Amino acid sequence: MKQDSTKRYEKLREVMGNGDIDRRSFMGLLGAAGLVAGVGGGIMTTLSRQALAAGTELHFEGWGGIVSEALRKNAFDPYEAKTGNSVIDATFGGEEEVLTKLKAAGSIDGHNIIHSSGIAWYKRWVDNGYASEINEKNIPNMANVMEAVLKPFRAVTPDHLSAAPYDYGTTGIAYNTKYVSEADAKAMGANLLLNKELKGKIGGWGGDWANRAWYGALQSGQDPNDITDWDAVWDKVREHRGLILKYWSSGAELMDLLAKEEIYVTEAWSGRVAALQAQGHPIGYFDPKNGLAWMETMFVLKGSPMAEAEELLNFMLAPETSIAVAEGQKYPPALDPSKVEMTDMVKGLPAFDPTGKLDGLVFRDPVKWNEVEKDQKKMWNRVKKGA
Amino acid sequence: MRAWNLIKIYTVLVYIFMFAPVAVVLLLAFNSSQFGGFPIEGFSLRWFAKLFENEAIMRAFETSLILGVLTAFFATTLGILASLALVRYKVPGKEWITTLLISPVLVPETVLAVGLLIFLRWLSMPRSFAVLLLGHTMIALPFVVLVVQARLVGIRKEYEEAARSLGANPLQTFFQVTLPLLMPAVFAGALFAFTISFDNITATIFWRPAGSETVPTQIFGMLRNSVSPEINALGFVMIVITVGVPLMAGGLARYFARKR
Amino acid sequence: MAKATAFDPRPWYLLSPALLAIAFLVIAPICFILVYSFYINVDLGVDEVAFQFGNWQDLLTDSYYHNAIWKTFRMAVIVTVLAAFLGYIPAYFIAHTNFRRKWLLLLLLILPFWVSFIIRTMSWIHIMGNQGAINGVLIWLGLTDEPISMMYNEFAVIVGFIHVFLPYMILNVYVSLEGIDRNLEPAARTLGCTPWQAFREVTLPLSLPGLAAGSLLVFVLTAGSYVTPIILGGPNDFLFGNLIYDAVVSELNWPMGATLSFTLLFLLGIVVVIYSRFMGLNQLYKALS
Repeated sequence: MKQDSTKRYEKLREVMGNGDIDRRSFMGLLGAAGLVAGVGGGIMTTLSRQALAAGTELHFEGWGGIVSEALRKNAFDPYEAKTGNSVIDATFGGEEEVLTKLKAAGSIDGHNIIHSSGIAWYKRWVDNGYASEINEKNIPNMANVMEAVLKPFRAVTPDHLSAAPYDYGTTGIAYNTKYVSEADAKAMGANLLLNKELKGKIGGWGGDWANRAWYGALQSGQDPNDITDWDAVWDKVREHRGLILKYWSSGAELMDLLAKEEIYVTEAWSGRVAALQAQGHPIGYFDPKNGLAWMETMFVLKGSPMAEAEELLNFMLAPETSIAVAEGQKYPPALDPSKVEMTDMVKGLPAFDPTGKLDGLVFRDPVKWNEVEKDQKKMWNRVKKGA
Repeated sequence: MRAWNLIKIYTVLVYIFMFAPVAVVLLLAFNSSQFGGFPIEGFSLRWFAKLFENEAIMRAFETSLILGVLTAFFATTLGILASLALVRYKVPGKEWITTLLISPVLVPETVLAVGLLIFLRWLSMPRSFAVLLLGHTMIALPFVVLVVQARLVGIRKEYEEAARSLGANPLQTFFQVTLPLLMPAVFAGALFAFTISFDNITATIFWRPAGSETVPTQIFGMLRNSVSPEINALGFVMIVITVGVPLMAGGLARYFARKR
Repeated sequence: MAKATAFDPRPWYLLSPALLAIAFLVIAPICFILVYSFYINVDLGVDEVAFQFGNWQDLLTDSYYHNAIWKTFRMAVIVTVLAAFLGYIPAYFIAHTNFRRKWLLLLLLILPFWVSFIIRTMSWIHIMGNQGAINGVLIWLGLTDEPISMMYNEFAVIVGFIHVFLPYMILNVYVSLEGIDRNLEPAARTLGCTPWQAFREVTLPLSLPGLAAGSLLVFVLTAGSYVTPIILGGPNDFLFGNLIYDAVVSELNWPMGATLSFTLLFLLGIVVVIYSRFMGLNQLYKALS
């Protein structure tokens, strides 16, 4: 490409000399040729730089923002400095998107570790054949992870883990203390979201069918992990739908709606409410009885370079890294507070359990939920649209 | 004249409508509070400082710029070639070809995105920057074709024929006669292409190679927690560059012209 | 091609890069999508190769889909008509003004695109929300005590759409107005027409191609969207695009997603065909001259 451009300059200058081309168009062409050479050259250098980079590349995908900044500073950079491997971190819009891509591409090229939500997704990755086998001996920091958190994952894959648990939180109910008293809120529990007096001032998460169904179960008096009457669940969801201002679809939107008093009550992610409270907004938060708890893992996809991935997970699970990430995203780390000293900020986070046993939290039973997912998710997508 | 004044007022109102959101973004770039509502609580430049410190956004910005410029270059080149063929030659099935060329606008982007991924798997080609670039070029192509073709129709063939009869070869004719006359459309088309590439989110999410972020995908990822006002600051910088640079260039040109 | 009349290969050389790109990046993927619409979705993300019409039957018999098609059509028509009314006059102004820097007026139109689409759309919350600029002014003026709800309904979605697509309309109309001979209107005036008559009898018909091209673009772009209703709309505001997104990304049901995609493509194709019956497709670019 470069040679071609040089030839073209030469030709052009010849033509110039003969007076065939006026000065202006010459400069224009020169500019264009320069652009092509520069751009071509730029790409070539980038490519060769990539080819030259020694060591293994690990691809990490997560939620971006504060989380990736904290990981970059506390885990990725030290890891790269120590091992010579490189970590390429990217932001996804959700795990469905990653699964869509993997399916379409037919390989895990460019994907190794995923910041994955909940046991349900853990099971989904395993069921789809992406389960790697982690050798826990290579991750000394895994010893600090709460046994209570590890247990449900070991139930899905008894012989080995495919992911390291990383953080947890709850989806409880947030309310604006200016308009709803704490006593009222707690007395009504999950039915606060069906309070007709608040019509048009209620919100709900539109992004996850299981979250919606969980609350429908609570409102219809069923055990969310043992739903028998799905019609009753969806009736409650329809009732809720008739009262809401809108279904929010991201944490940014949730915070915006609450902060601007567009809505007074909604179910909400504990970490986002903590962030609002930290900014001084009058938002209260509580977990209703049988409220939904979840945890997030760092899932390693099958086919990834395991030794390198394990070492990286060890860096990520180091107490200082875990705590820095927790303070950034406002979800407590999966480390056991009885083994690792937490900062005051972490101790003050909603859903934080100082005992390290997580007895008060109810997680989704992946077997029960995944088996009905195909039909009920379709149902939810319809109910959401008024069917 | 009264009617003209009404038209003027109406136009101003429409421009105000167009600019209201932009103005909000620009104002909030200077707002000190994070949940920047109105009234604005205090003036601050901290989001600009944070913007320049934020490597991820700056890297995404760089990727978006490179991608946008390359997309503009390729889409404009392809668009000009195709338009020349369609306008200057007798091509059988011209209508169909035009329809084909503008078809990317008609296909929902999610469909294009997933379809291309499946196709790439069939070819066992990995996602790469080149794929993303090709994809963006294709999405931008219809707009370039529409603009360039329109202008080309307006350029009279006689100019080109005159050049040819004076002994210029086809290439010379193109570069010295057609292209200069076409320049406004080329510029408009390139601008359009750049803009479309710079703002595309739906398809980019699917096509981008691992580890590459463009500004929109970066913002999309930030939505889960909360979008920081740094993004407003970035918008401010973009607008200053895009309006400021041409205005300044025009001003300088006039200044020097007067000196001479 | 083997006909005896001299075959001129030159235009094909010029066309080949663009056509190759389209074939490779549009036609081939669409063919794959069509094939997919006959597959069976067994479980989330698990498809079985098959040739059956189950997905198509669902589409034709289920009123859920028909309702969404109707809603989408309705929204696209509303947005297109409003955009035409809002866009024509500014285009007329830009075309006829004596202001020297027309390019600046045009550049200003594309300017909002530099601010990311998501941010731009979300900024309507700052304007029309309960704590937004409009309510702020109304309360400050004492016109109302309680903020007026304007967000998260169909109105907000329409505003969002028009804001995004209006430039396409204005540019198209402007370009066709710019191509009209400036002497025609005065000529009509000397023949005794009132200004309004002159406009209605001369300028308006001549600018129709641009208006039509702009309308087609706005219609098609609106009908294919899904993000704006998610951000600005309430629970009842969704379009066919949202169904596609749900099927492909959330339900991981590609066969159904493919079927829905193809349907949208087909319906938009009908709109284009109708358009070209009336306008001739070449108007789409002639309008821009």
